[in-house]
Amino acid sequence: MIEAQDLTKRYAGRTAVDAISFFVKPGEIVGFLGPNGAGKTTTMRMLSGYMPPSSGSAVVAGYDVFRDSIDVRRNVGYMPENAPLYGDLRVKEYLHFRAELKGLRGREARRRTGEVMDMCGVTDMRRRLICNLSKGYRQRVALADTLLHQPQLLILDEPTNGLDPTQIRHIREMLVGLKERQTVMLSTHILSEVEKICDRVIMIHHGRIRACDTPQNLARQLRAAATVSLEIKGKGPMTGLLEALPGVRKAEQEENLNEGWKTIMVRVEAQCDPREAILELATKEHWIIREMHQQLPSLEDVFVELAASDAPPADQ
Amino acid sequence: MRIFWVLLKKELRGFFVSPVAYIVIALVMVQTGFSFRAALSILETGAHSQGSIVRWTFDSQWFWLSYFFIFPLVTMRLFSEEKKLGTLETLFTAPVRAWQVVGAKYGAAVIFYCILWLPSLANFGLVEYLTGGAVEMPVGQLQGSYLILLLMGLFNLALGCFASSLTSNQIVAAVISFTGSLMHYLLGIFIIYVGKRVPEVFLDAVGYIASVDHIRAFASGLIDTRPIVYYLSLTLLFLGFTHQVVEFRRWKP
Ligand SMILES: Nc1ncnc2c1ncn2[C@@H]1O[C@H](COP(=O)(O)OP(=O)(O)OP(=O)(O)O)[C@@H](O)[C@H]1O
Ligand SMILES: [Mg+2]
Repeated sequence: MIEAQDLTKRYAGRTAVDAISFFVKPGEIVGFLGPNGAGKTTTMRMLSGYMPPSSGSAVVAGYDVFRDSIDVRRNVGYMPENAPLYGDLRVKEYLHFRAELKGLRGREARRRTGEVMDMCGVTDMRRRLICNLSKGYRQRVALADTLLHQPQLLILDEPTNGLDPTQIRHIREMLVGLKERQTVMLSTHILSEVEKICDRVIMIHHGRIRACDTPQNLARQLRAAATVSLEIKGKGPMTGLLEALPGVRKAEQEENLNEGWKTIMVRVEAQCDPREAILELATKEHWIIREMHQQLPSLEDVFVELAASDAPPADQ
Repeated sequence: MRIFWVLLKKELRGFFVSPVAYIVIALVMVQTGFSFRAALSILETGAHSQGSIVRWTFDSQWFWLSYFFIFPLVTMRLFSEEKKLGTLETLFTAPVRAWQVVGAKYGAAVIFYCILWLPSLANFGLVEYLTGGAVEMPVGQLQGSYLILLLMGLFNLALGCFASSLTSNQIVAAVISFTGSLMHYLLGIFIIYVGKRVPEVFLDAVGYIASVDHIRAFASGLIDTRPIVYYLSLTLLFLGFTHQVVEFRRWKP
């Protein structure tokens, strides 16, 4: 559905997106992550045919984004960041106008307008002026707009930004429901959302792709791997002995609970599970363990690590 | 073409929901009203050995003083507002082409401009009706006057469109458009003052583009094709510029 080859965008000498290549298969939901200023919006603008790449190319829905930009736009529903809309139109008028712009006619346009308003929960607001809507509703109207012409591909730039939790869940379910017919590429800062619905994650930083995999695999490969928390009672240099176990990077005593219980956090090397060894050690040393819990790294850890991993490149 | 009509309809609607439109309509009605009143008073004093009610109306200072305020008010919104709101991004990710957008915005401005002048036509009709034809109504002069108003309008609106496409600030767009229109108009007047001191060739060139001369000729019913070609080509030139500016983001650096 999307094939990007060395896609590059330079703004007045500064490179915002630096030769990124990736693909998106039909029917996938792909999350596009990265810290602020990473180049997500820029990439999405290029893919939607709004601006051409400085170099490189991308084929979206079978058309080249520069040469056949109109055909690309016919097959893509793009939702810009911050949902810019015409404030002086009413919701229904706006969506009808957009439907006509996208080539729907008369009754068909009216029918689709009604359908997308229902899907995005803005039917109650259809007679309101857009300038009087709250941010969340504007966001929903913009999302409804992208669905009008039933595009093969949706490119959504922070679609759930500013929505309430119920609505975020609603949109999540809607996107999963659309999966049969539509491919979705969305950027977001809400990582739990990505973990729940995305088949694949593309992470970019300073305009380069840093990771591209399923959310689960990404978390598994992380260097800052899992932690095991223990509630334990016993004598001896506990943290020292724990650290001597294979696969343990560091053990730290967190706090002292009453009656001699303490909590210890054990940081584990990637792809190691020292829980059994801990238990054996405890038996040998006559320690009592009343709780042991392994916490797998979340996408958030991957994200934070990635964002901290390198300083921004000096301006050329 | 269908998309062009959809856009045109929306732009026209945009004019009539904005308060600025009604201010402009009021401005033009006051302006034509005053200059028409001035023309009538000349008629009353009876000193009408030469000229006619149409010429006096369009020769009035009142008229040209406020004429150039129309264009910034009509055009400043067109692109600047969309740039500021960011809706150009929504617009250009729908399957629309730049010429459709430029054409629709300009077209709506021209239609609005034409509507602006309808009430003033009624003035002349009313005089003819009330006096029962006693005041001679020079049809040729009337046609000429409105034709030059249309031609100058086409050009100045295109200039305003271009100014608006340059910036996301409506005030800046208005200033550029106003200055541009006025400078072009004043060129012709300027030449009257410096007249003798500049070379002949230059005089001819400026004479060719001087709006004041065009207005005088057209208002006396002398319809010349050279100004028509001149204004139409300037219009196309500025619409072309506008198109280029709108397409700027699609240029490959
Ligand atoms: N029109 C522009 N002119 C110049 N530089 C720009 C322009 N748009 C974006 N940039 C720069 O390009 C880089 C990438 O910006 P982009 O908007 O793509 O980031 P982003 O990943 O969408 O960030 P965010 O999460 O904050 O939305 C930034 O350094 C930004 O300053
Ligand atoms: Mg962004």
